[in-house]
Amino acid sequence: MLNLLWLLLGGYVAGILLPLCLQGRPESQRLTSSVAAIVATSAGVALGLFGLTSLEPVTGSLASTIPQLTLAIRLDSLAAFFVFTISLVGLAASIYAIGYLRHFEGQTSITALGSLFNAYLLCMTFVVLANNGFFFLLAWELMSLLSYFLVVTQHQKAEVRYAGLFYVIMTHIGTAFIVVAFLVFFQSAGSFSFEAFRHPGHPLSEGMRTLVFLMTLIGFGTKAGIVPLHVWLPYAHPVAPSHVSAVMSGVMIKTAIYGLIRVYFDFFGGQFPWWWGFTVLFLGATSALLGVMYALMEHDLKRLLAFHSVENIGIILLGIGAGMIFQSYGLKELAALGLLAGLYHTINHALFKALLFLGAGSLLYATQTRNMEEYGGLLRRMPWTGFFFLIGAVSIAALPPTNGFVSEWLVFQTLFLSFQIPTVFLKLMLPIAAAILALTGVLALACFAKAFGIAFLAQPRSTHARHAEEVPVPMRMGMGILATLCVALGIAPMVVPLLDRVIASLAGISIASKVLAIDGWALAPVNVEFSSLSTPVLALLLVVSAILGWGLAVALGGRLTTRRSKSWGCGITLTPRMEYTATGFVQPIKRVFSTIYQPTVKLETEFLAESRYFAKRRHFEFHIEPIFEKYLYDPLVAFFGTMADRLKVIQGGNLHLYLTYIFVTLIALLLLAV
Amino acid sequence: MQVLTSIGSQLVDLCSALLLLTCFAIVAQRRLSACVDLFALQSAFLVVTAALVAYLTGNQHIYIAAALTGVIKVLIIPRVLKKVIDHLNVKRELVMHVNVPTGLLICGGLVMLAFFIAQPILPLGPLLTRDSLAIALAIVLIGLFTMIARQKAVSQLVGFLVLENGLFLGATAATYGMPLVVELGVFFDVLIATLIAGIYTNRLQDAFDSVDTDRLTVLKE
Repeated sequence: MLNLLWLLLGGYVAGILLPLCLQGRPESQRLTSSVAAIVATSAGVALGLFGLTSLEPVTGSLASTIPQLTLAIRLDSLAAFFVFTISLVGLAASIYAIGYLRHFEGQTSITALGSLFNAYLLCMTFVVLANNGFFFLLAWELMSLLSYFLVVTQHQKAEVRYAGLFYVIMTHIGTAFIVVAFLVFFQSAGSFSFEAFRHPGHPLSEGMRTLVFLMTLIGFGTKAGIVPLHVWLPYAHPVAPSHVSAVMSGVMIKTAIYGLIRVYFDFFGGQFPWWWGFTVLFLGATSALLGVMYALMEHDLKRLLAFHSVENIGIILLGIGAGMIFQSYGLKELAALGLLAGLYHTINHALFKALLFLGAGSLLYATQTRNMEEYGGLLRRMPWTGFFFLIGAVSIAALPPTNGFVSEWLVFQTLFLSFQIPTVFLKLMLPIAAAILALTGVLALACFAKAFGIAFLAQPRSTHARHAEEVPVPMRMGMGILATLCVALGIAPMVVPLLDRVIASLAGISIASKVLAIDGWALAPVNVEFSSLSTPVLALLLVVSAILGWGLAVALGGRLTTRRSKSWGCGITLTPRMEYTATGFVQPIKRVFSTIYQPTVKLETEFLAESRYFAKRRHFEFHIEPIFEKYLYDPLVAFFGTMADRLKVIQGGNLHLYLTYIFVTLIALLLLAV
Repeated sequence: MQVLTSIGSQLVDLCSALLLLTCFAIVAQRRLSACVDLFALQSAFLVVTAALVAYLTGNQHIYIAAALTGVIKVLIIPRVLKKVIDHLNVKRELVMHVNVPTGLLICGGLVMLAFFIAQPILPLGPLLTRDSLAIALAIVLIGLFTMIARQKAVSQLVGFLVLENGLFLGATAATYGMPLVVELGVFFDVLIATLIAGIYTNRLQDAFDSVDTDRLTVLKE
């Protein structure tokens, strides 16, 4: 274990330092930084597996000269699970980066990109390993700052700088809330060590516990991107380099989930009132629905994926929130099931979202644009990317036989089991959440039908797309690993016993034997009679029915003949302009939900001077109202702007005046003290 | 032992008083280079005070702090400041916000204020450096006042350094010095601050042909 930790540290440190030593040789910088990251993340995967299988948590600590700060780490099963997830996604992204970084050569510094990426992964690993509040905050803040620097890689563009600023402000506000929560713990525990947080000297009062709940929910929620704190995601994710987006969206936002579980189930020992769980559930449902709805309207592929992160964080929170509700009613098994569903979806989302972002990066690499309306016909030109992207899309749309289906099914089952709760209100609310989740799933399917169809099918819509070529092998490998895992976790739910280790330490009950029912291949939500699902059989059924359908077509449809001729087009030659556009595809959904979108459509037609029957040019514009920015953030910003303007009075611009302020304050305070 | 402590206490008091005296000299001095010289002198007194405290209490790490003070504040910083002054076209402070006699009176008032404020805590301090704490506070206040009263960036910088000397004396007097790590950090900060302020003064000279910080008012939004 110690060897693995050293290997992980050594790999990352090498990845940070080597690019700095190899100035002026981008080729070797690209290779060394990626290879170092591959070594380190492989060690991380092994470390995670080790931590998940070992029974006792492993701890280690290093004293520092700064008061209250001990560099203490603790590899318990929860931390191990997150180390595993982070390293797995990091591994795929690092392999991908070998090819992808070539895209940036000459445009931006490979030194910075390679070094920062390694440092970023290292800090993220320490966020989940930290066993000291101070150390945690240090790693957390470093992680946020490093990701900011990675976001502004292409800082020459104003759009990128704006996105970076937005992100760094939001994440700092979030951190401020977390600091408050940790200070409350510190006050009662007298130390920053997590050990003391778990068993404080004098327990927190009810009010303080509520304060900690709200503070951590807002603080971690900002990082996770729950509505209405999600506004930074659609700015920051698209402009970052794609392998960074994959890690940011795949795992960084999950560190917030880690934080929430750590605080609620570990520090508070699962002791909380029902409304905590309900709040989390409510926010989860809202995030899931609004996330996918805004995603549908996006035509920038990476922005679309960013909104889907909001949706999936919502789904994870639905599982965890339901688990929290069950926990507060003492329904231990169901609480464990909720956590299981949440954690299962956490790793699944990490895998398929990273896969999709890497896929989007490949499209960007091949076509130089993120606008979906300029793709089209890419399946023939980039078959591998297309195939992997399809697996990711199927997975995020929660269709069998992929992992997204399994975890969403578990979330559904958890919500359905709400009839065991004694309160009528919650008995009513959880099925509503399930209904919202169902709507979310359908919309996600529509969204990825659009994303895949518009990008990969039909004819190319632009010159870029026409000249696109398949991406280099390392990039395909990075995506291939994730795609394989997506299918593997969908067919073989063998991670359940490992996840159960995590849950057993949190909820104090092991449900692996009940969930992995019957022969070890079928899943059942605690109670086999209620429902059960055998994923391999399901996959087999799908394959069999496909073969059966093909067989029937051959048997009953007569002889298969190949006829080569032009597509049916009423005698006109087909052009890309006749294709369904991304905007057109979602038009019906936009109509149905116009109350939420509040769309503004502008259609201007320029007619020929001779006759109004002939249009010369049509201009179509369509926006949806960014409700949260308009009604929540803009007024807030305006408020602070006004306050700052008022304060400007005391800003005389004269240095001596400022010094006098300090002087007078000092004297006044001193006199006050006497 | 008793005698030694009592003599030591007297000596520490004497040195602290000399520090305070140089403060007044700085307030009264218009020539910039003389101000810097006075600051170096003050720092030298500070070195002696710290070394005395180190000797009398047997705290080894104060010796290190004293040596660092000697190197940085007596040698390096005055030299840097002299170089900056060489670059300037005005060698003396012509117009001040508060003229010299008034300034001296105010400083006298500040010393009284410092003693008044420190009165309740003085009996609690260590025997050896009892009065030094009040003097340190007075030096801090005078340093701050100098920064307000002067217009030239260089003399403001001297004011800042005087203030820092006061803090160092205070730390030595109240607790026989801060932990060495903190002290090292503070020294590093002061050195960097001086370097930055020196560069900034030169840029100011180049941009406005003057080092009056009053001119910065135009930077206001």
